[in-house]
Amino acid sequence: MRILIVEDDLDAAGVMARGLTEAGHTCVTAADGEEGLVEARKAEGEFDVMIVDRMMPKMDGVQLVETIRREGDRTPVLFLSALGEVTDRVDGLQAGADDYLVKPYAFAELIARVEALARRRDTGSVQTLLRVGELEMDLIARTVHRQGKEIDLQPREFQLLEFMMRHAGQSVTRTMLLEKVWHYHFDPQTNVIDVHISRLRSKIDKGFDRPMLQTVRGAGYRLDA
Amino acid sequence: MRLPRLLRTTPFRLTLLFLALFASAASAFLAYIYVATAGEATRRTDQEIRREMRSLTDVYDRAGVDAVNQSLIERAASERPFLYLLMSPQEERISGSIEESPIDEFDGQPAWATFQVTDYDVQGREVKHPARGLQQRLDGGEILFVGADVGEDEAYVGKIVNALWGSVVLVIIVGIAGGVLVSRNVSRSMASLTDVVDRVRNGELGARATVRGTRDEFDELAQGLNEMLDRLERSMQGHKHAGDAIAHDLRSPLTRLRARLESAFLDVEAGKGDPQEALAQALTDTDGVLKTFGAVLSIARLQAAGQAPDPVVFDPAELGADIAELYEPLCEDKGIEFAAEFAKDLTVRGNREFLAQALANILDNAVKYTPAGGAIMLRVRRRSSGEVEFSVTDTGPGVPDGDRERVIQRFVRLENSRNEPGAGLGLSLVAAVAEAHGGRLELDEGPGKVGEMGPGLRVALILPRV
Repeated sequence: MRILIVEDDLDAAGVMARGLTEAGHTCVTAADGEEGLVEARKAEGEFDVMIVDRMMPKMDGVQLVETIRREGDRTPVLFLSALGEVTDRVDGLQAGADDYLVKPYAFAELIARVEALARRRDTGSVQTLLRVGELEMDLIARTVHRQGKEIDLQPREFQLLEFMMRHAGQSVTRTMLLEKVWHYHFDPQTNVIDVHISRLRSKIDKGFDRPMLQTVRGAGYRLDA
Repeated sequence: MRLPRLLRTTPFRLTLLFLALFASAASAFLAYIYVATAGEATRRTDQEIRREMRSLTDVYDRAGVDAVNQSLIERAASERPFLYLLMSPQEERISGSIEESPIDEFDGQPAWATFQVTDYDVQGREVKHPARGLQQRLDGGEILFVGADVGEDEAYVGKIVNALWGSVVLVIIVGIAGGVLVSRNVSRSMASLTDVVDRVRNGELGARATVRGTRDEFDELAQGLNEMLDRLERSMQGHKHAGDAIAHDLRSPLTRLRARLESAFLDVEAGKGDPQEALAQALTDTDGVLKTFGAVLSIARLQAAGQAPDPVVFDPAELGADIAELYEPLCEDKGIEFAAEFAKDLTVRGNREFLAQALANILDNAVKYTPAGGAIMLRVRRRSSGEVEFSVTDTGPGVPDGDRERVIQRFVRLENSRNEPGAGLGLSLVAAVAEAHGGRLELDEGPGKVGEMGPGLRVALILPRV
């Protein structure tokens, strides 16, 4: 993937670029909003994801995103910000960002979110059937089958699996799950999410020869085909 | 020019304004009284003169000039005699108490005159009195003049006018004195409030206004000021406490983190040991520090704002169900029986995200401290007061009565739970959320001792009725 990093903290930008490059992506960095705007315009929508710091000199992240959105650039944007309250988040998303990550963050969290954003753009058409390997989910009938065998899921387990299937092959973090499946933005002190995952796992993997729902150490979970 | 302080006070200025208004009203009243009284006196005198004239013409008609003369003699001896002059048809004086008629040209028609009579006081000095009289021709051609000394009347009106002026002056004096007193009083009350404000401005946050118990507006203001200062002081103490607590709670994990990194560094330098484990542990420590930091920040922002951001009205049962659904598997996994009970048709107003986090924190604690085989109950109900109560009851060790207040304070963790994970901020954040919603947090004993367990803890987040 081609990723544009707009971040005025050059050390942070360097670490980010190195990590993303190691993960197999190509990075371009810009040191402030104006430079970021120049890079974004030059690329004409060729970036897969833009990582934009919210507070920067010259042109801040909100202005940058509003500008490129006005110009018709739909590149997914991940906002990075030290402001983590609900209202800050809402402001950022209203400006046109697609996701919001509060500083400081774990690098696994950043990669997971960047990849999730890039993936989101791929699936432009509306799907009613999701398929990952032997697993099949009918979004209208609200049924799940593995190897043709029906799996009975609770509504929340269904949403959880749907999210995992939409991001199959890619790590998703606990925070992402809490945010995208439960719509909460806080950090629980206990391992609530793990328990939900293990319940889901016991339903989709138990009795089958191969586990699909993997735990990714230090990051979260991944659904493999 | 700088006026004396007293003259600049609002009550004194108001007093002056009212005095001015009152003085104008009193002057108008005075003028009216004067006109009415003076007019009335003249009218009454004229009437008496007419009656006297009629009585004398009656005597004349009945018994002639001599009878009139006789009557005049008798009448002149009365206590307050009229002034008489009986003249011949040729206007020559026949008899009477005055020498000549004040009317110079008499055309025969009854005529009124206002004039001066000369009298002598006890020391023989000449005094002039105002007088008024009526002159009339009798049927036989003689001319009769009847007059009256009106000096006493005028003196009477004059006394009334003087009394009225006196009372106006008295009112003004009393008014100014009252104004001064009221201003002094008000100024003193204001001064005590101003004094408190000044002291607070100079950093003495413990200063409080005196509430005198008179329940007047100054007392209300003083009370309001005191409550505001209480709140401010609590908040300041909170910030200070938070500062100390941050130093305390962040310093130890940061120290640990530093030590771990240092020893890993030394190990790697010496070419021995695997730095990976030390680094993984360092990351975990960092996450703990960041969590503490985040919680402190949330509390600080809530307390600084004083109210929850973006409040909406929603059904608390729905939030309860949502959170119950999130935590139920965790309880089951730990071998804790989980039950939930939600009253219908309730509404609360608040920030759903913060309230969800508060409930999650309470449940996190409950799960953390309740041993396997225990039970946790989440309940949403309406109190008889109309408030909405979210409560979580567990069968854990509970919190001793004397420690409950302390548990809510920031960063306080009971000594015997020091080894449990968690930043110790959980309930502090819940308390901050409750306060930001105009509600409160209550801690009680749980269901009591059950076998090895108990007495348990009941944490209630209470929100005001919508």
